[in-house]
Amino acid sequence: MVDMSSAESLLSQDTQINGTVGNCYSNDAKMSMRDVNVYYDQKQAINNVSLDLARHQVTALIGPSGCGKSTFLRCLNRMNDTIPICRVEGGLTLDGSDIYDKNMDPVLLRARVGMVFQKPNPFPKSIYENVAYGPKIHGLSSNKAELDEIVITSLRKAGLFEEVKDRLDAPGTSLSGGQQQRLCIARTIAVSPEVILMDEPASALDPIATAVIEELIDELKEKYTIAIVTHSMQQAARISQTTAYFHMGQLVEMGETSQIFTNPAHKLTENYITGRFG
Amino acid sequence: MENDLHLSQHISKRFNQELEEVRNQVLKMGGLVEQQVSDGLVALLDADMDLAQQVVDQDKLVNSMEIEIDEVCTEILARRQPAASDLRLMISIIKTITDLERIGDEAEKLGRNAIVLANSDGGSREYIELRHLGESVKEMLKRSLNAYARMDVEEAISVIQSDKNINQEYDDLSRLLVIKMMEDPRQIKSALRISWCARALERIGDHTKNLCEYIVYLVKGKDVRHINFDEIKQQIDI
Repeated sequence: MVDMSSAESLLSQDTQINGTVGNCYSNDAKMSMRDVNVYYDQKQAINNVSLDLARHQVTALIGPSGCGKSTFLRCLNRMNDTIPICRVEGGLTLDGSDIYDKNMDPVLLRARVGMVFQKPNPFPKSIYENVAYGPKIHGLSSNKAELDEIVITSLRKAGLFEEVKDRLDAPGTSLSGGQQQRLCIARTIAVSPEVILMDEPASALDPIATAVIEELIDELKEKYTIAIVTHSMQQAARISQTTAYFHMGQLVEMGETSQIFTNPAHKLTENYITGRFG
Repeated sequence: MENDLHLSQHISKRFNQELEEVRNQVLKMGGLVEQQVSDGLVALLDADMDLAQQVVDQDKLVNSMEIEIDEVCTEILARRQPAASDLRLMISIIKTITDLERIGDEAEKLGRNAIVLANSDGGSREYIELRHLGESVKEMLKRSLNAYARMDVEEAISVIQSDKNINQEYDDLSRLLVIKMMEDPRQIKSALRISWCARALERIGDHTKNLCEYIVYLVKGKDVRHINFDEIKQQIDI
């Protein structure tokens, strides 16, 4: 019998970050980010991150709290514009066009790159109005019939229509947490986005509602490109094709999800997904 | 990633303990199986019926250890949902104990054949080659268990390579037995039994090779089954 501690002595602890390990680029990129740096006043939150969001794929952004993954996600539809002290540098493109270009209207950008938040945040309006609001302000329908069609289609795609079809006039807030989140997804889909960003969309939901949302994400990727921030390793493993691991504002490793969760290349990734001390 | 598996250092100390306990159980099972092979070989070569019977009886213990470790692994998978090296550890343990159990079965065969051979004329004492094959297989098994305990990939690869020699020795011994049977048909019965024992030893070599392949998978995350030695070297870059 050999002493167990002998195995421990072989360990190397290389936790240095020297650029990104793995493949962070795609041959079919919907969005491309190059050398992105983000500052909150003097503090740098994102440090030289480059990655692609592959078209019709789910990309999971994982990492410990404060690693910058949500900040990075918010750069992708200029949500950080609303924070005065936030400064974004680097090249961020959607289908090749610079999303931080002076001529790019952030409101139109956010219609193309929609977002779903951690806590379901339906408007204090009816279920119907919640979904109809976006198409109305973007002028996506010319009459009531068209608007009805958009609302029903969006609710169907979000897997909610059957549950709410008899009470479209009820307030959105009267729905359960899982239903509210699907309502928010329907609201996002209603303006025909190309990319959907999700910031921990299922963290406030029970396992059943989570499973419904995850199933929905899997279906949505056929039509949209999806980036999701999640704290649940199992969720990232279940729903994404590509996983990116952030640590202290840097992109440590990016690669196929199956590889990241069975044989990560970087020690820090390994430590994080296996619940070890970093 | 370098040779840098570390089983402890989880934030959950209980998880560290669980992994260490199950790994120790595998080492214990490996130790028992190693003893079974060694005893089976002694029983066969020294015509020791008592020892042979003991080997046959002890196989139940090997079987129950396999079931026990399987249960622990199932529980860890369900409760901890291990990933990366922890997941590879679970998969490699589940596979390792299957091969260990089969090595146990082969050791049992040695015991059963030893009982029959001890009662028959002749016995197997004259077969120096069988002893030699047995010693080679024992050594291979011992090295693989040490490699497992130390997570030593280089040693594991060296053991994988040594299986070729076992196969060669088995072929040589088989030829010898065929000649013996042709020369003296009265020896066919015992020669066949010895042939089965040689086959059991050769199979132990194969299972031992599997154990080493799981070590490579565990440490390097590379699947080196069913490929030749040059390809293995290429895969894990040594």
